[in-house]
Order: sequence, then C-alpha cells, then structure tokens
Amino acid sequence: MSANAVLTFEDAAFTYPGGDGVSGLDFAIAPGEAVALIGPNGAGKSTLLRGVLGLVPLTRGRMALGRRSADGAGGRTSSGADGASHADRGMVGFLPQTMEFDVDFPISLEQVVMQGRYRRLGLLRWPGRADRAAVRHALETVGLAEFASKRFGSLSGGQRQRGLLARALAADPSLLLLDEPFNGLDQPNRDALVTTLRRLKGEGVAVLVSTHDLELAREVCDLVLLVNGRQTAFGPVSDALTLTNVQRCFEGVEVEIDEHTLVVPGHEGH
Amino acid sequence: MSLADALFGAFTLPFMARALVVMLVLSVIAGVVGVLVNLRSLEFITDGLTHAVFPGLAVGLAVGGASGVLPGAAVAALIGAVLLTWLMRSGIASDAGIAVVLTAAFSVGVIVVSKSDDYAGALEELLFGRVLTIPPSDVVPLVMVSAIALLLVALTAKQQVFRAFDAAGSRAAGNSAFALDLTLNVAVALVVVAGASTVGSLLVLALLVVPGAVARLLTGRLWLLFPLAGLFAALASWFGLAAGFAASVGAGIDLPAGSTIVAVFVLAYGVVLLGRLVRDAAVRRAASRDASPPTSSIPAAGERVA
Repeated sequence: MSANAVLTFEDAAFTYPGGDGVSGLDFAIAPGEAVALIGPNGAGKSTLLRGVLGLVPLTRGRMALGRRSADGAGGRTSSGADGASHADRGMVGFLPQTMEFDVDFPISLEQVVMQGRYRRLGLLRWPGRADRAAVRHALETVGLAEFASKRFGSLSGGQRQRGLLARALAADPSLLLLDEPFNGLDQPNRDALVTTLRRLKGEGVAVLVSTHDLELAREVCDLVLLVNGRQTAFGPVSDALTLTNVQRCFEGVEVEIDEHTLVVPGHEGH
Repeated sequence: MSLADALFGAFTLPFMARALVVMLVLSVIAGVVGVLVNLRSLEFITDGLTHAVFPGLAVGLAVGGASGVLPGAAVAALIGAVLLTWLMRSGIASDAGIAVVLTAAFSVGVIVVSKSDDYAGALEELLFGRVLTIPPSDVVPLVMVSAIALLLVALTAKQQVFRAFDAAGSRAAGNSAFALDLTLNVAVALVVVAGASTVGSLLVLALLVVPGAVARLLTGRLWLLFPLAGLFAALASWFGLAAGFAASVGAGIDLPAGSTIVAVFVLAYGVVLLGRLVRDAAVRRAASRDASPPTSSIPAAGERVA
C-alpha cells in the first residue's frame, strides 16, 4: 500500500514548541483514497493537517509526502534531500476551517483562486495561460465560474468556502487536506462539496478531511482515522468507525452513534 | 505668472527640473510601495520607520556632512526595518512598543543634531527636506535607492498581496512571513531614506500613505491600485512643485517646497474622498429608489469576517 502512497506516516508525531501535538501516527493514503479524520476538539486534527503542510514540526518518526520523506529526528532521510521539500508540498491543496480576512479587500474570486497557483509559479514568475486555464477549471469544478470577477468579500459564506476549495484545487493537488469543511454549510453547498470530492477521488486525488459529520465519512471516505492526542484507530470505515472505537477516542465524553450522526455534547456539526 | 509658466516654464530652471525628476521617481515608487502599506495596514509601522531613520540622518550629517546623510539614513533604515520586523514577528509590536521605539529614535536624533554648529538649519533640513537644493551628485543615489525599493516590491508583489489578504493561507502555501515582512519593511525603509532627504523625514510618510489610500477610494480592482497610486503621486508632486514655485516667485509668498507638495497630496486626497462620499450617497439613493436592498459593494470599513 505504501509503495505508491501519496502520504505515509511511520510512528510519527507533530509537536508545537509549547508541547501540544499529535503522536503515534502510522497510516498511509493512496491516490484516490479519502480518509475521514475524526476526534474530539483539541485532539490534534488541525495540528496533523498543519504538520503535513510543514507548519508544525515533525518531532518523531517519518513522514513521506510523494516520493521524498522527512525524518522526525531532525535529520532528513531518503535521497538526502531536505525532507518534504517545497516542490513536493506544491502538490498539497489545503482548505482551512476558517479564514480571517477583510471583506473590503479589493480582490476578486478568480484572483483568490489564482493564489493556489503561486507555489508552482515561485517568486519570480507571473501567471500565464496555463494558470488562467487551471483557475477557470477549478471554478467550474466548484460551480462558481459565473462569479469569477466578483469581489471575494461580496460572496456568501458558502460561496467563499467553495472559492477557497477552488483555490486548493487550482494547485492541481495530488493530496487535498480539508479542515472541517462542512461546518456552517447549508444543504446545497454541502451536496455540491460531496459531489466535488467524489469526482476528485475518481481523478486519483487523495483526500484527508477532518469532520464531525459521519454521514460524510460514509458518503465520501473509504478510511477513517481516529485521533485524540494520538492515533487511536485507523482502517476501513466499516471496520474502524465502531461505537467502541469512537467511545475510546472521545474518552470521557458521552457519545452516541447512529447511522448518520455522531452526537457529541458541545460539538457543532452533525 | 500664467498657469503654463507654473506648470511647464518653471521646470526649465535646472534646480526645478532636478527637483521634478527626483520627486517624480520618488513619489511614484512611494505610491506603489504605499499600496502594500495600505493593504497590510502598516501605516503606523511606516511612521515608526520614518522616525527610526532620523538618528541615521543626524549621525550621517554629523560624521560626513551633507554627503553622509544618505548612507547614515540607509544604515538606520535597515536596522529599523529588521528591528520592527522582528518586533512584529514576536508579537511584541503593540502600538505602544512601536511608539516607544519611534520616540526614542527621534530623541536620539535630535540630541545628535543639537551638537552640530548650525542646529536650527540642520534640524530644519532633516525634518523638512531640501527638495529645491538637492545637489546634482545626489540625484543618482536617490534614484537608485528608490529603484531598489521598487524592485523588492515588484519581485514579491503577488506574494505580498496574498499575505495581506490571507496571512494563514500564505504561510500554508509555503511563504515565509518573516521574509515577506522583512522585504516589505526594507522597501518602505528605502523609500523613507530617499524621501527624508527631499521632503524630509516627517513628511515622507504622506508620500507612502496618501497615494495608496487614494487608489483604494478610486478602484476596487486589485492590480489597478498600483498604477493609480503611482499616477496620483506623480501628478500631485508635479502640481505641488508648480504651486510652490508660483506662490514663491509669482506671488512673493515664500512656501517651503516639500511641505507644499505634501499639502497638495492631502488636499487631493480630500477631493477624492469627497467625490467618493458623493458617489456612495448617489448609489444608496438610487438603490433605495429601486426599493431593493442596497448593494453590498461598499461594506463598512474594518468589517471582518471569520
């Protein structure tokens, strides 16, 4: 499985300088697979996603992104290169949970989506025809092509979310990271996102999505990863997403689980 | 004196021509850099840099005379840029912290200047510039310092705008916040250096802040901000020099050139602001006439959305 995996962890840990983090990571995602990342608030879900992006240091074990890998001992393994290099991270698309911005900022939707191309362009090159085509395609994928020249701040919350997904897709990623993408989405936007994720999987994109929405986990994801400061379970949705596993992960928090919903007191989402 | 004399004839005089060239280069570049200052809301940090440069000007003048001013200012600007970038990064840079740094730097500068023989003359020149008496040998260094600032901004413009719009997203895309901030602060500092020896270290802030603010009022289109700010800065500098010349030579009212230029900048900003308010009111009236909810094209300033 890990031979052609997009993302592989071997006994890895990400730790903030303050000491918080997530450990015991030992899993792999292959192209076209989607993994639901589930755990209580403060369990390290966002830390894991930010770690993949290189924003939280890998303090233990190994992470392999694409072909190269990073070594948590501080030294970098594989090909002697600088671990997961910027070029490799260029294939990672990221949809943040929230984004703080000035709604008055003079920037259009297509200019925001173009930001997804910047990593490929590097410092010196400016967008060319291929980049504009990628932006157009990403906007069509999320169904916002007609809003391309609208000011980003004038869009609705759901449209902004889809716009940011388009920005992640414009990078033409082989791995897509989504942090609670369904929080605050209405039903049409939610359905659109599910459709988009399914299509991306079909195109061979690997997806890692943190969510409280078990319906989504079942609808879109093949695998589930439970974390609570450390990895507590990983496997196919039908095997790993059991009441026992979820209760163990949400230790101390009373949870109910039914066909559609994970009921966790104090949690938003479904 | 006719209008044509003030706007064109005046600049056949060598010292006026020199002042125009330096002011056009400087103000256009300050305008372009200032767009990023505006988008990042770095006005107060910029003010801090203008003050941080002052002791450099003073020490340069004390050590090397008039030719020591530019190198002295450049050294102080680079130190100030690194210091302020580090303060911003470490989260220490509260407004209070910046205020302490800028007043401390200024007092050091004044103390140094007070040791010079011509205290009042030197202080005035450092604070309010000498746009009409720029030595010909200073023109090339001034243009070069400005050009480096423009280059730094031009090379990082799209990443700077990305960071201004979405700081977290920019970091997640692999951009170093520290490197981008340092680049922008050094660019601002270099503009301050060039401006300090023309309009003076106090008024250069206007060159960096006003054109960007005007461009924001004129357009909501991102990449149009930069040419508009540059065009506004060029026109206002030209009219400012012409107005100062007309008043001094034509009407016998001796106006300091640098201050006159800045006054024209601010006056023009007022006109544009008034125009924008009138237009907004007209848009609102039209919208309420149509009995439809007002378009949200102009949200309240400072409104933020998570």
